[in-house]
Order: sequence, then structure tokens, then C-alpha cells
Amino acid sequence: MKLNGSAWKFMQEDISTDLIRGKAWSHLPPQEQGAHCLEEVDATFAAQAQPGDFIVAGKNFGCGSSTAAHVAVIGLGIGAVIAESLGKLFVTNAASAGLWAVSCPGIIAFTNAGDKLELDTASWQVRNLSTGQLIAAKPLPTFLCEMIELGGEKNYLRARLARESAG
Amino acid sequence: MAGMHALQKMIAARAQPARAFAAAGEFVEIEPDIFSVIVSFNATEARNLVANLTDLGVRNLPIKHKIIAFSDHGSPAPSANAAEGHKLWRDFYRAHGVEVVDGGAGISHLVLVERGIAGPGDIVINQDSHAPTVGAIGAFGTSLGGGRMMLYALGRYWIEVPQVVRVKLEGRLRPGVFGRDVALHVNGVLGQQGALGMGLEFAGSYVDEASMDMRFTLCNMGTEMGAVSSYIQPDARTLAWLQPRCKKPFTVFETDHDFAYESTHVIDVAAIEPQVAVPHACDDVKPVSVVAGRHIDQAYLGSCASGRLEDIATAAAMIKGRKVHPDVRLIVTPGSREVLMAATKAGYIDTLHEANAIVTNANCGACPGIHGGILAPGEVAISTSTRNNKGRMGRGAEIYLASPATVVASAIAGCIANPGDYL
Ligand code: SF4
Repeated sequence: MKLNGSAWKFMQEDISTDLIRGKAWSHLPPQEQGAHCLEEVDATFAAQAQPGDFIVAGKNFGCGSSTAAHVAVIGLGIGAVIAESLGKLFVTNAASAGLWAVSCPGIIAFTNAGDKLELDTASWQVRNLSTGQLIAAKPLPTFLCEMIELGGEKNYLRARLARESAG
Repeated sequence: MAGMHALQKMIAARAQPARAFAAAGEFVEIEPDIFSVIVSFNATEARNLVANLTDLGVRNLPIKHKIIAFSDHGSPAPSANAAEGHKLWRDFYRAHGVEVVDGGAGISHLVLVERGIAGPGDIVINQDSHAPTVGAIGAFGTSLGGGRMMLYALGRYWIEVPQVVRVKLEGRLRPGVFGRDVALHVNGVLGQQGALGMGLEFAGSYVDEASMDMRFTLCNMGTEMGAVSSYIQPDARTLAWLQPRCKKPFTVFETDHDFAYESTHVIDVAAIEPQVAVPHACDDVKPVSVVAGRHIDQAYLGSCASGRLEDIATAAAMIKGRKVHPDVRLIVTPGSREVLMAATKAGYIDTLHEANAIVTNANCGACPGIHGGILAPGEVAISTSTRNNKGRMGRGAEIYLASPATVVASAIAGCIANPGDYL
């Protein structure tokens, strides 16, 4: 699958799930949580991000507790998260909710803020449409890809149950 | 082929389909041996889960015989809201034939091993975050991050095969220093991300000589260092402890000699003083002498880190013939009914009553800040519980984490005190 989006760059390392979405907002509906997404790191980001934009982040993005910070990222309409590396629970929590969170060592140097990127999850490459360059991303396991492509854990289970009952 | 760690072998053994090898970083789909869940407060979550499973047409949970529900957090219900949540979850579990271990039985991490529900080599998925505790018997205990619906609907879960950090604890402890001090010290040395996303193995001469109670305490704190699972290689002591408890067949896995650990930390435990983690981080750890004299309002002995018989025995021995300071509340919450019964038989509970301690039923108690022992703003507690995050035991309060001995010494003194003065 191919996704296109403009890059928002967060160079800082170790952006925890609590920084992605403050605990104080966890009770809000997803869209309202989105308005607070990463506000502690960049106060203007949530107001300016457009649906489909990418978050390009430094090492260990989404570290910390398994709190559902991905809900704010999805609520804001972000198309994909591409980071130097990612917190493990963030990756699987995001996949459960249908969000691509992909590790891509070198992505920070490869990307300028505002660049148009294309994430190809078949070839596991990111193309920078603004510079014409290509970089390799780390593949996710097939079942997680299917889960994300179908929109999350529930749709994935629906498909698997149908497959398994068909034999 | 590179050598494998015992934790990695457990994943390979439970893989669906089965496989001989599992390398760090691979995602593997497994069927767990046990899926431990919570009779929770959250009514909305229960309603959503029921609606989702109905939507998916799931009428029978494929691994219902492997699911076990614990009423340990805030149990029995401390409020009407909590009671509503508890009721919905109990109804859900019972409707599906899932065993509910109800209030008073104790904390999942203790009961799973005491009753032999979990054995060595088992993969135990626990909805609660201190799942690594069961690593002390050589099981793979890990917490959920996504995938809950998959466990209910398909009985499957995915695990990313972890790399493993080893902590070698060498030497003998000084008087007044206990396993919990070692755990706090390790947390201070490694930091909150010291084993992030990895397995955390404890080894060395201290571990070889440590009791099972202290081994559970060590493994429990893996969570606070970011570990997905803790591990201690089972030995004769483990097997002797398991013998009257775990009646099912189990497998003791061993790490290959050529397994390459991510890193190895060697720590001399003989050099450690009693340790205290100061507010508001579990890895901000200092020797007790640095904070001694700090006023406290409450002292808490309990939790899945330190709610075992040896912890209560230490407390009773220290407080015998003494009294809790009149300005302090000392709350003692045994981690399980088994612990409470054994402590009663041994006379420890009488000793605690005579000293004016408050002894509660077995559960998570004051640890998560939702049951008896909530702190007021400005109050200070010293506690054997797992975490001292801001606000955990009450908004605007401060939590110091320490061993049972330091907590009891402080309860007697009315301020943070060195247990060495009360032995
Ligand atoms: S005792 Fe505390 S840390 Fe342990 S399971 Fe209960 S609430 Fe969690």
C-alpha cells in the first residue's frame, strides 16, 4: 500500500506516549484529543496539521506506558508515523487502531519539514517526492500490515474469522 | 544458528504454527498458556468489548479455559461506580465460563504462582502491567499492548521476540538490607528505560541464595525498567517451592551457552545501604541516610512487589514490642489470602495489631490509589508499592518507595528511618 503525506518533523528523542497525548485529555473524543496531539513538544502542530500528513520523528518515539496516545494521532487525521525508532507498545497499539507506525533509521536526515513523502509498505521504502531520494524502512510483520490495511484489530478479526470458518 | 535465551525458546514453543527458532525482533503469533484479566472498574470498556464480540459473531471464547479473572484492584468495591464496573465484568466473564477469582483472594501476580496456575515455561499474558513478576519461576510473563480483542476472539496473541539484558547480583547483603533494596538499587542503576522492550534476567550469587519471595520482588520491578518480561533460571529452590503448588507438567527452558545478551550489568550487593526511591520517579533512588528524618503521614506495606510472607515476617519481627508512631498510619495489606493465613498462623498479624497497625484484606490495597489509604494533598507516604508517580496514591501527595523494613522503621519513628536502628 502507498501513502502520501507532508512531513512534520520532530527531531527530539524519547517522545513518550504521555508527551504525544497528555493524560488530562484521555477522556475526550478522538478528534478533541487530536487537538492536543504533541502540544507539549510543538504548540502549533495540531492546529496546522492537515489530514493525511505524516509525523516524522526521532529515536524511540512513543516510548513509555501503553496508554492510548495513538488515539490523539489518529484523531488528528495523521496518515502515518515514520520514526528513527519506535516504542514497541506504541507500534502494536497503533496497528490495533489501524495506524501505520514505521521505523526508518535515517529518516530525520532524509526529510526536511514540509517535504512530500511516499510510504510504500509493499517495497518498504520511503520516497522523498521533494528531493527524489529513497530510503529503506523496517518491514512490519505481514499480519500487522493486514490489520492496519483493514483499519484495525476488529476488522482484521472479522476477516480472519471469515477465512477460518470458510476453512 | 545463534544461541537462544530461555525466554525466546518459550515463544518458539508456543508459536502457531510451531517453530524451532525465534530471533530477537521477530513477531511471532502464539497461543498463551494463561490469559490473566481484571475485574475492572471500567464499565464502558466492558460494554464495548461485549458489543465488539457480538458484532464479530464470537459466542464462545476459544481459550476460555485459559482465561482467569482477578478481582484485585479496588476490591471489594470502594464506590458505587466501581461496583457497577465490577458487576459488568463479572457478568461478562461468568457468561463465558471464565473463572473469576473474587475479592480477598489476592493480587493476580501472587495467586497465579501460589496456586500453581502458572508454571515454568508458561507464557502468561497479564492485562496488568506487573506481568514480569512470574519470571521468578521461569515463566514468560508479559503485559498487553494492543491485541486484547484478538485474545478473546481467537485465543491468539503476537509477541515480538525480545533481546535480553542480564543483571548479575553478586555478594551478600548487609544487615537491614533486603531484596527490595536490591530491586530499588537496580532500578536506580538501569533507569526506567534500562531494559526497554527487552527481557531482564537476574543472576549471580545473591540471586542463587535469595528466597523465592525476594526473587519475585526482583522480577516484579522489571516493569519499572521497561522490561517486557523478567527471568530467573529455575534451580533446586524454585522446584522445591513449586512442588506442593504446581501439579501440572511444565518445562524448564535453559539459555544456550552461546546466547549473546544485549548487555550485562554486574552489581555488588554488599555495597548497598537501604534504598529509597524519592518522589516522583522510581529510578530516583538514594541511600536511606540521605532522606532520613523526612516527616511521613502514612506507611504502607503491601503490593505485588512486597506483599509476601517474608515481607510481613520482617515487619512483625521489627515492630514486636513497639508501637506505630501516633501521627502515622501503618497499613499492612497481604498480597494474597495464602499470605494472610500463613501470617495469621505465625502470629505476625497479632503482633501487627498489638502495635496499632491497620491490617486489611488481601488485594492491591493503597498501591493504585483507588482503595483504602488514599492520601490528601500535601501528605507524605513511605511505601513498599511499585510506583511513586505523581498523584498515584492521591493528588498532591508524595510517595517514597522503600523495603518493608524501612517502611516499618519509619512507621515507628514517625519519619523516614534506617531499619538498622530497629533490628
Ligand atoms: S499491587 Fe499495585 S502494581 Fe501490583 S497489580 Fe496491584 S495496583 Fe498494580
